[in-house]
Amino acid sequence: MASSEPDLSPRALSRRGFLQWCAVASGGLAPLVGGPRWVPAASAQPGSAPKKGGTLRVGFYIEAATMDPHLSGSKIDRQVYHNLYEPLVVLDVKLGVKPGLAESWQQPDPKTLVFKLRRGVKFHDGTDFNAEVAKFNFTRMKTEPKSVRKGEVANIESVDVVDAYTVKLNLRRPDAALLATLTDRAGMMVSPKVVQERGPDFERNAKGAGTGPFQFIEWVKDDHILLKRNDAYWNKDGGPYLDQIRYRPIPDDTVKLQSLQTGEIDVIDYIQPRDVAAAKADRSMVVVDVPSLASFGYMLNHTRPPFNNKALRQAVAYALDIEQIVKGVWLNVGVPSNGPIPPTSWAYDSTIPPVKRDLARARAKLAEGGQPSGFTFSITTNNIPINVQEAEVMQAQLAEAGITMKIKLVDSAALLTDGNNKNFDLINYQWSGRPDPDGNTFQFFKTAQGISLNWSGISNPRIDAILDKTREVSDRAERKKLYSELTRILHEELPEVFIVHPIEPKAFSPKVQGYEPIPDGMMRFKDVWLK
Amino acid sequence: MAAARPVRVRRWMLLRRAASARLAPFGAVVMLVTLGVAVLAPLLAPYDPLKQELGNSLARPGRAHLLGTDNIGRDVLSRVIWGTRISLVAGFVSVAMATVAGSLLGLVAGYWGGRTDGLVMRLMDAVLSFPPLVLALALGAVLGADLTGVLIALGVVYTPTFARLMRGQVLTIKAREYVDAARGLGAPGWRIAWRHVLPNAATPIVVQASLSVAFAILAEASLSFLGLGIQPPEASWGSMINAGRGYLQQAPWIVFGPGAALFVTVLGLNFLGDAVRDALDPRSAS
Amino acid sequence: MGRFVLRRLIATIPVLLLVTAGVFALIHLTPGDPIDAMMAESVDATVKATLRRELGLDQPIPVQYVAWMGRLLQGDLGRSIRNREPVIENVGRRIRPSLQLAVFAMTIALLVAFPVGIVSAARRNTPVDGVGTTFALFGICMPNFLVALLLIFFFGVTLRWLPVSGYTDPFEEPLNGLRSLTLPAITLGLALAAVITRTLRSSLLEALAEDYVRTARAKGLSERMVLRRHALKNSLIPVVTLLGLQLGTLIGGAVITEYVFALPGVGRLVVDAVFARDYPLVQGVVLLIAIGFILSNLVVDLVYGWLDPRIRYR
Repeated sequence: MASSEPDLSPRALSRRGFLQWCAVASGGLAPLVGGPRWVPAASAQPGSAPKKGGTLRVGFYIEAATMDPHLSGSKIDRQVYHNLYEPLVVLDVKLGVKPGLAESWQQPDPKTLVFKLRRGVKFHDGTDFNAEVAKFNFTRMKTEPKSVRKGEVANIESVDVVDAYTVKLNLRRPDAALLATLTDRAGMMVSPKVVQERGPDFERNAKGAGTGPFQFIEWVKDDHILLKRNDAYWNKDGGPYLDQIRYRPIPDDTVKLQSLQTGEIDVIDYIQPRDVAAAKADRSMVVVDVPSLASFGYMLNHTRPPFNNKALRQAVAYALDIEQIVKGVWLNVGVPSNGPIPPTSWAYDSTIPPVKRDLARARAKLAEGGQPSGFTFSITTNNIPINVQEAEVMQAQLAEAGITMKIKLVDSAALLTDGNNKNFDLINYQWSGRPDPDGNTFQFFKTAQGISLNWSGISNPRIDAILDKTREVSDRAERKKLYSELTRILHEELPEVFIVHPIEPKAFSPKVQGYEPIPDGMMRFKDVWLK
Repeated sequence: MAAARPVRVRRWMLLRRAASARLAPFGAVVMLVTLGVAVLAPLLAPYDPLKQELGNSLARPGRAHLLGTDNIGRDVLSRVIWGTRISLVAGFVSVAMATVAGSLLGLVAGYWGGRTDGLVMRLMDAVLSFPPLVLALALGAVLGADLTGVLIALGVVYTPTFARLMRGQVLTIKAREYVDAARGLGAPGWRIAWRHVLPNAATPIVVQASLSVAFAILAEASLSFLGLGIQPPEASWGSMINAGRGYLQQAPWIVFGPGAALFVTVLGLNFLGDAVRDALDPRSAS
Repeated sequence: MGRFVLRRLIATIPVLLLVTAGVFALIHLTPGDPIDAMMAESVDATVKATLRRELGLDQPIPVQYVAWMGRLLQGDLGRSIRNREPVIENVGRRIRPSLQLAVFAMTIALLVAFPVGIVSAARRNTPVDGVGTTFALFGICMPNFLVALLLIFFFGVTLRWLPVSGYTDPFEEPLNGLRSLTLPAITLGLALAAVITRTLRSSLLEALAEDYVRTARAKGLSERMVLRRHALKNSLIPVVTLLGLQLGTLIGGAVITEYVFALPGVGRLVVDAVFARDYPLVQGVVLLIAIGFILSNLVVDLVYGWLDPRIRYR
């Protein structure tokens, strides 16, 4: 499970799955479900020849927010973007960085990044992609008042056009993580012509704006987004094969899965852990376990009692049984977490075990923290079923160590505000993850003033030094060592209790072929075709 | 109309009584049982409703667990039994709040009339014209997502109904002779309201309240769907149904237990409410 | 009657003022912040500050209220913070499915409620009545979302008769449109049918005990004629009241049904807006729903006059 390879193999029916199957089969529902299904879900098989045509219908949980990648702050937008736009560099299955709109790159010194751009690439509106365009895009990200990319490109001091197909990024500081950042929205190139001519309407209408394998047709708000094949796509190797892609929002997870089951859609972006076993046993769909970059855990507030007391933080950590949570709540659709860096990352250190439950030690820490008979605090978490469940399990585990945890349920807007204002004891944090480990660590654990993602308020000189160093060093082995050291310190200092690195299972109709799962969870449909 | 009343009323009463006779006992039995379960929950529940057994989650109904276990291995039957308390509290307390607040407001508006009346009733109209779920959702979020928040939110949503009802009654009663007489004797306004108007207006209020409890219990379930509910690990039937709705296909018993309890109770309350209405109907009582 | 309508319309002004104050206070008091909610993963405090300033969110609450009211008086409901589109456009897009769903649900409710209610009343105290009364209550004894999920499971997943989710406009594709609205309409319609059946039954029983009905009976009219000619029309008043009240509720309040069936209606719009703390959108939509509710009440009162000539409007 903890490998960086996506698990595509049909899974043998586990004991749990077997029990569930028995339960359903012998219960009154068997005739409705259609009897036992022993045939394991077929995996996406390469080999047969791809063919052109068809419309892929994709179900998402929420509507996209904007079509402008530089103004986008929501994860769901990216799913569409990765088919419409292209970044300078792209991720591969193993999180390596591959050429995208840039054919190659080099780093003559730690503060300079030079990209050789691909020739002959045209935007969907017919304009050329070149170095001037790249510069325009970076300038826009840095200066457009509503740009949400500012933070990501802040380290780029200036951009020089070396020649028509070469750009040079001059950095303020060495930044080993920048390249990986440019595999997503911060590296996506939009047509300057569209930006200039369309103005704010670009947010709703991305016609002509991208260079990707698919081009924008329409966005009927609240109903669907429609893309069609870009027949002039520069990369003649493989797809695009699909005629069209149609995205549709379906907010309820169960209903979304049922829509796939009944053939109303062909792809869903995520299945809840509770549905994974049943979905895998269902012949009407193929489930692909996509390991993610995500890190889910709980931040502890270092700035106020009780968790300004290190011993009490440790008492909580030792009282929790992470393995049991991942098994019982996440149903093993994820791995117990040993820190902020997911197993999919090259920086993951599998030799560091997750914090182990040890009640005796938890009690000793309680005594050390001056609360030998336990203490009371509250957890702030999202009011969605799986988080409530997780909180209930944690509550029961902590009670065994004499710690009383009250559960405060809020919606995500209130959660974000509580977190930003450090108005919590222990708060749920679900980070979707970034391809470079820097994106999962720096902003959370580096000393910060005012409002930041460092919700715990941790300020530790050693951690700060390590985090700075990881940006300066470009050698992976050395960076990995630094991240291992960081992880060990985090186990001691506990700004966060790490719970799970979730797997994000996606489900497809069996006729969907050629999907390549990349751990950032984005669904790129260039090589996908319909049987 | 007055002349026809005696004959009509008598027949009417008989008719109503007969109609409700068959269903009312069922409603009464259901409510007695439900109340009994709520009171005796600690004695009746076979397990600790909070005791988790992660290794035994989603166990199907059987001898060990009559209604199966939920997704973190808690006994569904025990949770349904304990949940009775919270669901009933949600239903009765929120309606009680609405009844008291609404009646007082209606009384004030109806009795004093004029500007007070205008202000109170416009306020009630404003509350009424809010989409109820949105009002409850926002109120609950402001007050904090726990049982108190839900109770107050539901209470506010139901208040205008009672205020309108009370005001209407007060206006009718105010015109009657005995109120005039009392006023003539120099009794202060609040005493007239308290001694004469309130008792006479109580009947339709009780009828409305008894029917509203059923709606409130259901509304609590709807609110938990939107993420506004009681504080875990406690459970109401609504929160259990909501937590189990994702398991409808694989483990329907999680929803079946609380769903059946909710269904039967709401049905019983409705029968009972109808019976109360029939028995207390002002037309038959006067 | 014109004066009656005018008077009623003037009387709604203070109500609407209270609604604006109420919704404004409520949504601004709700913990959370639209900018935080929109840019969950952004660290950049200056971008957030710029946006806040641009949207006037850095002003004191009373100032923001006055500014909003000022724009309202000019007929401007403002723009959504999240998708930056005018509130009126958001609602305009969503009102169609909501109205269609409401009308469809009411049709279903009436189709169920009238036969059941009439038969129950006519055959009062027989087993038929008992079954009818109990059946009528079924729709309101289960939470909406559970009914919806059961319907989906049965008619969508198992029998595959109807689509599980999504919306097609019946005016564009009549068959698919009706199919896409059928399950949600049943979900809403069942609950509504319960309430209507019950109201109809009791008002019919009441009417049947009236003098003129006795007179009609005495004239030798058949029971069926009595019911149809005399009792039914008079017992429609409470039913019409109910329908009027429910229409408003259905349009803005079908939140859960719209959510489960992924229908892009007004109810989901306003709840999503609450979750996003999209202040202008919440305020605008709630205000529009309130106006709709008040107008539908007015229409109900006018229909009264038509149903019952004794009621006259001064």
